[in-house]
Amino acid sequence: MTFLESLRTRTEGRRGTLAVIAIFAALFLYPVILPFAVYEQGVLLLAFLMALMAVSWNIISGFAGYVSLGHSVFLGLGAYTGGLLAETYQVNPLWFMPLGGVVAFVAAALVGMVVLRARGHAFVIITIALLLSMQVLVTNFPSITNGSNGVNVPLPFWSSDYQNMPFYYLFLVLLLATVAFAAWIRRTKFGTGLLAIREDEDKAAAIGVNTTRYKVLAYAASAVPIGIAGVVYAYFLSFLNPIGAFALLTSVTIVLSALAGGRGTLWGPVLGGFVVSIVSEAANVYGGGSQSRLLVLGLALVLVVLFLPQGILPVISARIARRRAAQQKVEYTDQAGVATARTPIVVTPRSAPTAERAAAPLLEIRGAAKSFGGLRAVDGVDLNVEAGSITALIGPNGSGKTTLFNLVTGAMPLGSGEIWFDGTRIDKLPPWERAHLGLGRTFQITRLFKSMTVLENVVAPLPTASWALMAKDAVSGHEAERARELLDFVGLGRFGSQQAGALSYGQQKLVELAQVLMLEPKMILLDEPAGGINPTLVNRMVEIIRDLNRQGIAFLVVEHNIPLVLDLCDPVAVLSRGKVIAQGPPSIVRADPLVLEAYLGPEWLPAEPLPGAVLNQAALSVKGS
Amino acid sequence: MTQLVQALVLGLLIGGVYALMASGLTLIFGVMNIINVAHGALLILVAFVTWKIWSVTGIDPILLSVVMTPLMFGLGWLLYKGVLSRISGSSPGMSVLLTFGIAITIEGVLNVTAGNRFRSATPSYFSESYRVLGISLPKAQVFGCLAAVVVLGLLYVVLSKTWTGRAIRATAQNSSGAALVGIQAAGVAALAFAIGTATTGVGGSILSVLYPFFPASHYDWISRLLGIIVLGGMGSLAGALVGALVLGLAETLTATYGSLQWSTLIFYAVIMLVLLFRPQGLFGSRLRQDVMA
Amino acid sequence: MVKHHNRRMARRGWSASPIRALGISATVLLAVAACGTAPSEQKSSASSDEPIVVGISLPLTGDFSQPGGEARKGYEIWRDQVNKDGGLLGRQVELKITDDASNQDTVVTDYTKLITEDKVDLLLGTFSTLLNFPASSVAEKNGMLYVEPAGGAPKMFDRGYTKLFFAQQATASHQPDTFVKYIEGLPENERPKTAAYPTQDDPFTTPVIESMQKQLEALGVETVYTTTYPADATNFQTIASAIADKKPDLIAQGAVFEDGVGLVRSLQQLNYSPKMLFQTSAPSNASQYSEGIGEANTEGVFYTVSWNEKATTPNNEEFVAEYAKRFDGGIPAEDAADAYAAAQVVQAAAEAVGSLDQDKMADWLHSNEVETILGPLAWDETGAPTSEFLLAQWQNGAPEIVAPEAAATVDTAVAKTPWQ
Repeated sequence: MTFLESLRTRTEGRRGTLAVIAIFAALFLYPVILPFAVYEQGVLLLAFLMALMAVSWNIISGFAGYVSLGHSVFLGLGAYTGGLLAETYQVNPLWFMPLGGVVAFVAAALVGMVVLRARGHAFVIITIALLLSMQVLVTNFPSITNGSNGVNVPLPFWSSDYQNMPFYYLFLVLLLATVAFAAWIRRTKFGTGLLAIREDEDKAAAIGVNTTRYKVLAYAASAVPIGIAGVVYAYFLSFLNPIGAFALLTSVTIVLSALAGGRGTLWGPVLGGFVVSIVSEAANVYGGGSQSRLLVLGLALVLVVLFLPQGILPVISARIARRRAAQQKVEYTDQAGVATARTPIVVTPRSAPTAERAAAPLLEIRGAAKSFGGLRAVDGVDLNVEAGSITALIGPNGSGKTTLFNLVTGAMPLGSGEIWFDGTRIDKLPPWERAHLGLGRTFQITRLFKSMTVLENVVAPLPTASWALMAKDAVSGHEAERARELLDFVGLGRFGSQQAGALSYGQQKLVELAQVLMLEPKMILLDEPAGGINPTLVNRMVEIIRDLNRQGIAFLVVEHNIPLVLDLCDPVAVLSRGKVIAQGPPSIVRADPLVLEAYLGPEWLPAEPLPGAVLNQAALSVKGS
Repeated sequence: MTQLVQALVLGLLIGGVYALMASGLTLIFGVMNIINVAHGALLILVAFVTWKIWSVTGIDPILLSVVMTPLMFGLGWLLYKGVLSRISGSSPGMSVLLTFGIAITIEGVLNVTAGNRFRSATPSYFSESYRVLGISLPKAQVFGCLAAVVVLGLLYVVLSKTWTGRAIRATAQNSSGAALVGIQAAGVAALAFAIGTATTGVGGSILSVLYPFFPASHYDWISRLLGIIVLGGMGSLAGALVGALVLGLAETLTATYGSLQWSTLIFYAVIMLVLLFRPQGLFGSRLRQDVMA
Repeated sequence: MVKHHNRRMARRGWSASPIRALGISATVLLAVAACGTAPSEQKSSASSDEPIVVGISLPLTGDFSQPGGEARKGYEIWRDQVNKDGGLLGRQVELKITDDASNQDTVVTDYTKLITEDKVDLLLGTFSTLLNFPASSVAEKNGMLYVEPAGGAPKMFDRGYTKLFFAQQATASHQPDTFVKYIEGLPENERPKTAAYPTQDDPFTTPVIESMQKQLEALGVETVYTTTYPADATNFQTIASAIADKKPDLIAQGAVFEDGVGLVRSLQQLNYSPKMLFQTSAPSNASQYSEGIGEANTEGVFYTVSWNEKATTPNNEEFVAEYAKRFDGGIPAEDAADAYAAAQVVQAAAEAVGSLDQDKMADWLHSNEVETILGPLAWDETGAPTSEFLLAQWQNGAPEIVAPEAAATVDTAVAKTPWQ
């Protein structure tokens, strides 16, 4: 992979790449051609800095979706690191550039571990509070920071003839390096994981993404370029004070730049950084000075949020895509095609349960309980799933089935009780570690990452917690091949490059299953696999489940389609009001009066066991009501 | 001892005013799930208009709130209809950015029209105090606190005794349930935003007397108010009252026994610590959406 | 007195962004042909007839626009008076003033542009220390003489610059010297016994108050209270009640403006009036100050100042008259006078060395005294001035100079009266 290739993204295409190369070549040549246009260089280098910060911000806030409104705190940290050391030891601050990056990284990682527990409003507000607290702290510890007196940084060592040219190139190179860094992150598994977190954090955790590590690392990674640039900025400015170095308005400008250009895209923040700079400068030159600049900034923020929340670049590429789409028609899925296309596949669970373990159940739930407020949604459930079985979990709506799934996969913390999986107690483990042990799940309403392609969705799961895996290309080699095989297996091989959101609901269920298979699971929890899809696909689904089961994968299935359950599963467990009320082979459970009571209400007690058909109808009508 | 009592009394007087200012913010959050960062800027806007009218006509600034409140109600309605209703349902980050944009715009407008200078309305009673048992009660603080208590009382009556108020509270507690019983969420949100904004009419008038202000002061105020409602529990009126009194006391006590330098940090620390470790605050529902892990 | 209007910026930076991104698109830039020569080769163009161009960047908008605007008035009056008298070195003087919008990034870009692109012959300083810090760096990098009308923080002169000069009487830490001398001259029983020192956390007030505390302690004045409060403090009741509790004879406050008014008001509410009150900048804001605390309450308040309208220094009368003529009979602000004085310093240096050679001018200033409307100014090797501020006091609703004797407008200081 060459440097330039790494800068190229799928959406922007060949022409876009050429334009980017041309612009940056021009920027590199500019000081050579016009070496004494010092003013223009000064203006441009600040635009580079703004673009650099917007690109960095994009890593945590664009890719991972955690909006930080205090990102200039890292500029201040970098600047103070470089400035203070340079002042104390009277050396060239540029030596401290790496240190500026390290300080920003460490600070962000430490803060991130705590702060990233919050999301939504809380995260935004905490980032602001963090920035302002830093300002107060730097002001109030004059013995370390000189307080409000600020820091004098030594003057540049080079001849004054060169003016700001070295700064110009430094910031330009740093900007390009930052873009390359962001591009690299976006291509890796790490980047895909961040997008997954943005789209659906709980789902990401369920497919093995260690969301905590990913978020903290993304926050730290987004701080590093700004920390490094902060050192250069201190040298450029030659004087620092707490108010200027930790300014909230800088943070707001960063956010505005990235939003205007295109949050989540690679070049959008660069474009935004330049555009915001132009507008801001124009407001200063033509609009009557800085007072109007503030007004323009505020209005721009309001207008961008209201009318251009996607940003300039995505709007342009959507337009181009639409034009292309008009030329080539999108292929739509035919259900029959799906039903017939079948490739044999071997899915081996990571390790077959060992001999001595084989005696114990694969999944063992002991006295599991969970309350919401006063409601005991799961009330002391004991349930075993044997290795190699297809166990059904049925029960009326609101009986706690999905909650139990959430407890098993770790989407919700267990109230009390224990959950064991393949010899390991898992109820304290985070969701991704359970996934890494070989526990996969699908969701009642499919939760694919709709902005990613089908193939990207299928390669997104992470079967291990390895750090090296994170740095691997998202879609590559063996894995991509495997993903294609799995898509073929579920009959969707042709749709690999489609946006996941464009598929039919039933197809999305199959993709979600293929996604889970990437984890090489020992056991899969299926939440209504047949819910809301057409009968052809239901049959297909059943075949696939049987096929996988023959290869040794155990299933726990929540399903309302009782005939299907009775046909597919053995044993069957019935849940009612948070308790398991019956358990055993289908024939026995079907005849259990308690089950009927649970489905039909206590008044309706039959004198003798009913034939299965009645229960089936009763259950279906209850469900339909 | 006198010093302690004095600090406590001042803290409570300040806290009463803070409570009024925070009530609108917490009401808006409760109903719309939007943190209105522009709340501070609206306070400063009112303070400036009040100061201007006072300096031209000499009418008592606190009395002027009778005029400012309906004006701000109208402005709140317009803001909701024109701007905020357009983004209902988008991510929290975006709504914070939007109201931040509004705040900066108001600051910019004040900068251009009013100039970047400190102002303060100083009616004749400003430098006078009541003295009770050796404790001095500055008249301006007492009047401000009284006005705040009256308005908070009115707000309580409106919210608990009128149909509109009950609709607002119902929506705040359970918006889908409220919709079931025939409450129009959009209409209620507009009303709540307008009422929340109307409280700045009184709050800003009091501010113009008690504190010198200039266009960028709104950041100090929004930090303070956020600290208060985060502590009390976002969306809870009772929480706002308690949070305001607690932080009012904390501020004066730190200033008396520590240093004013650290009193601003209290608000930031409260915001961060409460959101991280007790997101529901003292009384409210959880602001923080937790990461399921 | 060093005025330093940084307090608005000091609002925890909400209003002051270091990165107001400036930018012109690359394509536009490439089209702009700004050819030139290396900065070091340019200064030989001292041809005889062309006007001398003086480059200045001022905060004409933004947080410091008030002092920035006053400084501009001062500079312009100087320019017109010099030109009327036949110019500088026989050449007419032209000012090239740009607006830095109170922004640190812009002030750097502005001075860089003035020196390298516009190739001005001389520079004059900007306002507020926050802006003078980076601006003086640009000048020093380019070997240009930089005389600043504001920016007296001691740190300014720690940097070993050779072309930097501060055109006021003393740096912040020597600001209280006249007041201390005055106290020293009082009979033992009239001296304050105890003192309280509240100060804003600000590069210009803190050194003044710290230095005063040290000097007064040496004279035996007991320190009973000190506190530093942040720039955004608006509620002074707690500080006032803590001070009232200690009952000091002297309150010496490092006050910028609003905090000075705020503390006095809170003291009034508590009805505690010290025997002596000294504040740094606040009382020099003539009518704003007296309106803020009530005219009757100003009686006896001390402060230090760099200039006085009634001073008999050279050109002062003309300056005051010209200012009144131009601006509806207004009295010049101290900032305008400081700017005028800075220009006088540059003028004196140019005339003394007979050229615009920046090195020679700086050398000359290091070893000579200049007469300005502020009085005589002289500098040490760092560019820090070595004279003394004027001690001023409010008497009968007007500011008067009580020391040093040469500049005094009244014979004696008066006692402070209790709050009315």
